[in-house]
Amino acid sequence: MSVGRRIWPVEGDPLRRNPSRAAKARPAEPGIERFMWYFMRLSGLALVILALGHMGIMHVLVQLTGQEINFAFVLERWGNPFWRIYDLLLLVLALVHGVNGARIIIGDYVVRGGLRGLLIGLLMAMALVWMLLGLVVILTFDPATAPANIGPFS
Amino acid sequence: MFRYRMSWSELAWLGHRLSGVGVLIYLFMHIVENATLSFGPEVYDWTQTLFRNLPVRLGEILLMAALVYHSLNGLRVVLMDFWPATTRWYRPLTYAVIVATVVAMIPLSLIMITPYAPWGGR
Repeated sequence: MSVGRRIWPVEGDPLRRNPSRAAKARPAEPGIERFMWYFMRLSGLALVILALGHMGIMHVLVQLTGQEINFAFVLERWGNPFWRIYDLLLLVLALVHGVNGARIIIGDYVVRGGLRGLLIGLLMAMALVWMLLGLVVILTFDPATAPANIGPFS
Repeated sequence: MFRYRMSWSELAWLGHRLSGVGVLIYLFMHIVENATLSFGPEVYDWTQTLFRNLPVRLGEILLMAALVYHSLNGLRVVLMDFWPATTRWYRPLTYAVIVATVVAMIPLSLIMITPYAPWGGR
């Protein structure tokens, strides 16, 4: 099989227009769908490091060093701006990446316009609420006041 | 979707979707769980005790497997979409992703199950 040097658009065989045989081939015309096609792949590359790193620390390293995840652990961790920014990036990229994936899956299996619109609308509303909740928790956590429980939710 | 005969490559694609949805559902739960941080040490530490048991640990091992698989298969998708010439190795790479996930999960699940294993003794 010879695959040409020209990457897009590829003529002919649908498999060559969608080389990885992922859910969708790259949309031909510029717009939000093409932006999201690139976003999924680029955020995916970042998430391989961020999400696997997070799981490796929280579930493997913590286990190997005999530590326990509790308030004191988070207090020390989020006292360091590096981990606060790391977790912020992980939250935003993972939630947008995951919700966009769910949107594509709903679009694939729910063909009817009204129900599809309703489900995607609900998904987007949920995503917004959860994004705000996650952001508020990371951004307002103050190591000085949190242990005394005089933070925003107390 | 569930035809009687499914090729490994179709299974790999379905696995990407299922693992993605699984990790997303966990993420929604995880954001709520983490929000208890804003209610002070007592509430957060009590919430964490809910997660220290065998069924949850098995779920976490499943989550790790889903994430490892989704990451490796995702890397294959990125590779092939940006360098279509690599589709020449579509089948071996798809198998490699599955094999690498299984191999990686052997030490990972052994480490993660430690507190509940005979050799862990906690």
